[in-house]
Amino acid sequence: MRKSRRKALAAIGVGLLLLGSIVYIAFGDAVWFWSDNQINNNSIEKRKVVFISKSTDSAFWQSAYAGANAASAEYNLNLTCEGPGSEEDFEMQNDMIDAAIEDDVDAIIFSAIDFEANADAINRAAEKGIKIVVVDSPVNSSKIMCYIGTDNYGAGCVAGVEALKNPARTLRIGIVNFDKNTQNGQMRESGFRDTVKKDERTEIVSSINVKSTVEDAKQGTIDMLNQYPHINVLVTFNEWTSLGVGYAVEEMGVGSDTQLIAFDSNVKSVGMLENGDVDALIVQNPYAIGYLGVEKAYALLNGQKLDKAEIETTSILVTRENMYDDKSQRALFAFGKGEDQTV
Amino acid sequence: MRSKISLSGVFITMVMAIVLISSAAATLIFVQVYRSGMEQSAVTSSDQIGVQVLNTVENYTREMQNVMERIMENMEQGTDEDIFIQNMVDMRSDIVAITTYDAKGSLKDCWSNGRELKKTNLNSQSYTVPDAADSRLNITKPHVESLFVDYYPWVVTVCQEVQGKDGERLQVNMDIRFSDIANYIDNVGIGAHGYVYIADSEGNLIYHPQQQLIYSGLKEEKGAELKEGTHTESEAIYTVRELENCDWKIVGVCYVDEMITAKVSSAVSNLLKMLCGVLIAVFLLGWAFSELFSAPIRKLVTAMREFEKNTENFVFSPISGTTEITTLSNSFGHMVVRLQKLMDQVRQEEVTLRKTELNALQAQINPHFLYNTLDAIAWMCEEGKNEDAEEMVNSLARLFRISISKGHELIPIEKEVQHAMSYLKIEKYRYKNQFTYSFDVQEECLPYLCNKITLQPIIENAIYHGVNQMLDEGEIQIRIYQNDEDIVFEIEDNGVGMSEEQCHEIMHREAGDKTGIGIKNVNDRIKIYFGENYGLSIKSELDEGTCVTIRVPKVEEEEYAKK
Repeated sequence: MRKSRRKALAAIGVGLLLLGSIVYIAFGDAVWFWSDNQINNNSIEKRKVVFISKSTDSAFWQSAYAGANAASAEYNLNLTCEGPGSEEDFEMQNDMIDAAIEDDVDAIIFSAIDFEANADAINRAAEKGIKIVVVDSPVNSSKIMCYIGTDNYGAGCVAGVEALKNPARTLRIGIVNFDKNTQNGQMRESGFRDTVKKDERTEIVSSINVKSTVEDAKQGTIDMLNQYPHINVLVTFNEWTSLGVGYAVEEMGVGSDTQLIAFDSNVKSVGMLENGDVDALIVQNPYAIGYLGVEKAYALLNGQKLDKAEIETTSILVTRENMYDDKSQRALFAFGKGEDQTV
Repeated sequence: MRSKISLSGVFITMVMAIVLISSAAATLIFVQVYRSGMEQSAVTSSDQIGVQVLNTVENYTREMQNVMERIMENMEQGTDEDIFIQNMVDMRSDIVAITTYDAKGSLKDCWSNGRELKKTNLNSQSYTVPDAADSRLNITKPHVESLFVDYYPWVVTVCQEVQGKDGERLQVNMDIRFSDIANYIDNVGIGAHGYVYIADSEGNLIYHPQQQLIYSGLKEEKGAELKEGTHTESEAIYTVRELENCDWKIVGVCYVDEMITAKVSSAVSNLLKMLCGVLIAVFLLGWAFSELFSAPIRKLVTAMREFEKNTENFVFSPISGTTEITTLSNSFGHMVVRLQKLMDQVRQEEVTLRKTELNALQAQINPHFLYNTLDAIAWMCEEGKNEDAEEMVNSLARLFRISISKGHELIPIEKEVQHAMSYLKIEKYRYKNQFTYSFDVQEECLPYLCNKITLQPIIENAIYHGVNQMLDEGEIQIRIYQNDEDIVFEIEDNGVGMSEEQCHEIMHREAGDKTGIGIKNVNDRIKIYFGENYGLSIKSELDEGTCVTIRVPKVEEEEYAKK
């Protein structure tokens, strides 16, 4: 009798205490309940992401940086963009990866100059728990969680199809490619070759690999054209070699009787397209590559599962006829606020 | 409790259900109100921002209009227009170029900020056929300026027809890039993720903070085709305002849902936590109250059951609790006392009744029996069987004395046995030795008490209904012995026996005039004096005989005297 009463009274006490504390908590909560608390955002240090590209000053990489910066602003990341001075310098890339490991970054967005030689550094970084997103050109590592880039083989095929539109009776083709160890260039070339060899008019007269610089490409092309003057189709696979080959064509004055299919958009190559030295440009979507690279890095950092490990960005073929279409304009020319765009 | 629903369970469930339902309703109402309030405030703020942006952009376009008008004035006057326009271009960083075209659309003049015109391929993107000439500005959608070497900025073109000084129709185009206005638009935010952009009436984007993202195909912008006003779509609220002096419109995008959903969900989760706490508290309180309420009731129920089982000796201790419970308990207590008193009274009355009944019966001792006995005694005297007559008279006297026993109901078993013996003596004589009888009495039983005239009615019954009907000699055995705490009398005869119905009838027949004291009376008296556990039982088989067993407790004379 007594006992049960005491128990009941104790329960009432506990219940009232609980109610009181709930009210108190509710009032305490009210302080942050209705106010935007940014404390959390400030207390968390921004995650560090490094974007290591093949080089820094090409229009392609500038545009990729712009995309990456837009995404890092959106996702509140601390982004650094860097790259070696030339597109040959994979050691420099490896040094940058090691520096990033030292710097304790959270994610690396990487475009490999050398499919094999960059692999060790990338594996080292992955072992440290750094999330790796590879863009534009792959690297031989199993630690890659995500690849973003153009469908390189497909882009090569598009170049091949464009070459086959040439009405000449025989197509004597010269290929100017960059570093043999860079995967994306190799894939574009094989896409091109596989497409053109289906037509018996074609003959690949010469195929060279030059350093990925304007000078090297120009010199290599001039040598090639001197050796095989009857070449009437030239194809090349990135921004620097495109400029080099374009300058060579301009210098030798063969613009009107040589079809040149080149890659990427640079104000110079656009000018060449207008004046006939370049006949078609395959324009990738570097802004999307940079943006998606950061976006996927952010998703990986937050432990989200990606739908696809490989994301293909678009590329379109631009010719003199369609270069001022809405679609081509948007691909060729970066939309800035109107700051002077000089390269 | 017969039904399985306990009071406390019902109480707690009800209270919790009420709390739950009311909280859920309150939460829903809160969410609704909060959501609509948030939506309202979001719309309001995006409206305000929209107005600000609209004013700024309108000022900007008006300024452009002014510039254009001054250029036109100059061109129409034809005085030093070159210098004036060049100054304009140099002064304003947002003007990329001012160009004039003849009626066929070929470029006549171009003023720019020191840019080199292309030698060839002057397929200008700026030349358009202007819309119907009203007072509004004609502005194209964004395109790339393609006139200059190595310079391809995105511009919009403001164009105007003008009469040249030599009377020909010219088109003046001013290519403007978005430097200032873009910085302004980029910095406008609505809520956490909202923004504004400029579109034209056909839904083409003029300037969007994420234009490059859209051009790269990574983002799609809805709402560019909406008309003036506020449009609440599934994922965002679009507020659209049209400019007056050109066909642009400002679209404000505000992700209200995201904003609200995040807030509401956090609020609701907090509410839910609180609700859980409240429920626990309510459960505790409810349990406590119901405990205070139903525990005493349970006790009361147990007490009542106890009382049902053991009415006489039940002692009720009052139960404390709420006022109602106390009242109930007190009433029950009173009731118990009253009932017990009543029962006592009834028993007392019963006893008194039996006593008077017995006394009355004793007073009217069977006249046949007395007459026959006296007759027999007289006959004996006539025959000169003085000894026999003396014994008969003594037996009769003893019979009467013990019957009366100074009015005591309980007498020692010894006396009862004497009474039975006296009776048997007389009867045996009357029935000319038709039967034999034997007594087998344990010595220890004799001092204990029993009701008077217990054996005699049974023996009478055995003689009249059992032995008398027989052809050969009957036999009556009387045994008295101890059994644990009780004394057992057995009266067995070897007479004709009785059927079940007869047994039942004999046990329940009220005393008649003829039969004197009935078996029922004996049984009743034993039960009244010693309780329900004692009394009389009959076992009988037809043609075999009858055995009547009587059980009484061991009661000593001293105990009875005390009572």
